[in-house]
Amino acid sequence: MPGLTRYGYRDAISGFFEFPTENARRILPRHLEPAELHHGSSIFSMTVFDFTESEVGQYGEVVMGVIVSPLVKPGERLPKSAFYPYLVGTTTKAARDHAIERWHLPHWMDDVEVGFERQGKSISAGVRVDGSPVAELTITDHSWNPVSHLYQAFMKDEHGAYLASITMEGQQSEHEEETGRIKLYEHPFNKDLAISEIYEQPFREMWMREGRQTFEPLIQLQTV
Amino acid sequence: MTAAHKKDPAKSTFAEYDYSNFYYGAGDDPLNLLGPFTEWYREAVPNGYYLYSEPLSSAPTTKVRVRNRKTGQVVDLINMASYNYLGISYRDEVKEAAIEATRRFGLGASGSPILSGTFEIHKELENEVAAFKDKEAAILFPTGYSANIGFISAIMRAGDTILLDQYSHASIVDGAILAKSKTVFFRHNNPMDLERKLNGVKGKKLVVVEGVYSMDGDVCVLPDIVEVAKRHGARILIDEAHSTFLFGPNGRGVAEHFGLDKEVDFHLGTFSKSLGGQGGFVCGSRDLVDYVNAFGRSRFFSCNLAPTIAAGLLAGLRIVEREPQLRARLWSNVAFLRRRFAEEGIDIGKSNSQVMPVMVNNDAKVLGVAEKIQERGLFLNPVTYPAVPKHKSRLRISVSAAHSEDELETAVQTIKGVLVEEGICRA
Repeated sequence: MPGLTRYGYRDAISGFFEFPTENARRILPRHLEPAELHHGSSIFSMTVFDFTESEVGQYGEVVMGVIVSPLVKPGERLPKSAFYPYLVGTTTKAARDHAIERWHLPHWMDDVEVGFERQGKSISAGVRVDGSPVAELTITDHSWNPVSHLYQAFMKDEHGAYLASITMEGQQSEHEEETGRIKLYEHPFNKDLAISEIYEQPFREMWMREGRQTFEPLIQLQTV
Repeated sequence: MTAAHKKDPAKSTFAEYDYSNFYYGAGDDPLNLLGPFTEWYREAVPNGYYLYSEPLSSAPTTKVRVRNRKTGQVVDLINMASYNYLGISYRDEVKEAAIEATRRFGLGASGSPILSGTFEIHKELENEVAAFKDKEAAILFPTGYSANIGFISAIMRAGDTILLDQYSHASIVDGAILAKSKTVFFRHNNPMDLERKLNGVKGKKLVVVEGVYSMDGDVCVLPDIVEVAKRHGARILIDEAHSTFLFGPNGRGVAEHFGLDKEVDFHLGTFSKSLGGQGGFVCGSRDLVDYVNAFGRSRFFSCNLAPTIAAGLLAGLRIVEREPQLRARLWSNVAFLRRRFAEEGIDIGKSNSQVMPVMVNNDAKVLGVAEKIQERGLFLNPVTYPAVPKHKSRLRISVSAAHSEDELETAVQTIKGVLVEEGICRA
């Protein structure tokens, strides 16, 4: 289908964490509403990709996000969920330039290092900046099922506010066994987060493998 | 809108979504979620959601007559779903008291409790509840839900902090929302996390726990919670919805069970569980009750509990007081069922109460399992995400003092048979 942008990945791992809604609101633009797990507790997500295919070749990427209310329109497919990626780090300049130009994604403007390590039923991803660790995420697997899920990503920069519809396909394992872990380091990369307020075990762990991520053309929103 | 974004009318939405997907949705119209929800729900009902809200046409005794929403057939089932932990709601003296009150007072209270809706029977019930709980005074609410939202919002304000167990009942969470206080959740039954969350909190603090948690059936680790809360100068509210009239030497609840009745500041209970009736209450000092009477909005902006219900509850409470053997019978049934489930290799999670979750741990199978069990003669409730975490699906069982061992054994055999067939449990 014309206008679609496809990325292939080996692994995409996500941890979802409760964090104070006050923190979420500090990160979000005014037109977005955080989804709350409980009253006063919003959801911070960290996702790390190991991209194997794209217009800009292979690269690693980390996406720090806040889960928000999706935009629902009559007659359109209901998204599984929506998020606001407030910071993206990539391992190559080409990937960064591509994502900024096409998707208006906010980036850490230097290359980051992304390393994956599998151990039994778990997988870890470490992110480093200039050799210093900034975030480490470990999750475990559960049962695997083929899925095709629609998500929404909201972006905002000095040019406007945007919405991208993203279909994630592949084998998925998702659970709430609280067996994962995150380690966030005091570093400018994490300046938007009150790290001490984030519980180190994700309430949900999602692992997708051997999959494809498909972006529909970006939509500019009239909300700004 | 692109083609990939259009919904496919031929595609099943049941497996892709769950209730959690229909709560949030930005857009221009508050009804935008109605279409997707309806589409999903129409598929969900025949796929197992018909098992919820099946209409009963008999009293909730240990056997119950139920209309199957899928087939329309009326069937007689062994009841493992109703609260009625002491089997009191259908006792003759309870029914007679309610009938007599109906003859005398008519259908309802016809007024707010602070205006024209308080009857002598309400005062009598309040006094006897207070005496039973060994407290100075008690105040009634029309439901357990309104007791929590009314009490919490009566005593806490914006700028205060309420610390809730992450598995708190919705009425506790909604009470905190209504109070406009800062709400902080601590990990379930985890005093160390409570301690972490209390560190540095200034001002008024309220810790809320439940005596027995309704989805897992586990008892609150109250001694450790009380120790942490006291050290941080926090007040403690215990919701004994599933434990009043059952736990402790006198049946006052989990606080009495742990010998912490005096250390807990606020005691809340319901009449809908152990007594099988309706309504809630808070008890404590006379000063506290007078204050809640003045500021418990959910109470005085509702019509009072129907006098007919109050009369039935009073009769039920008197049975609890004069027949402690009912509690003994309940705990004997609980012990029997726990032992039999263990012998059969059936997982009941962390339950140490009369609420037992039979863990299925398979979101895709739990409704089918519950359907088969009902077809073989048991009435029980499947519980799945988002009411419980993903892959923690279960069948919730409520044990009653009224169950016979034969009924409980039939339940074990029926559940075991289906779990084995479905590959959930080994033969």
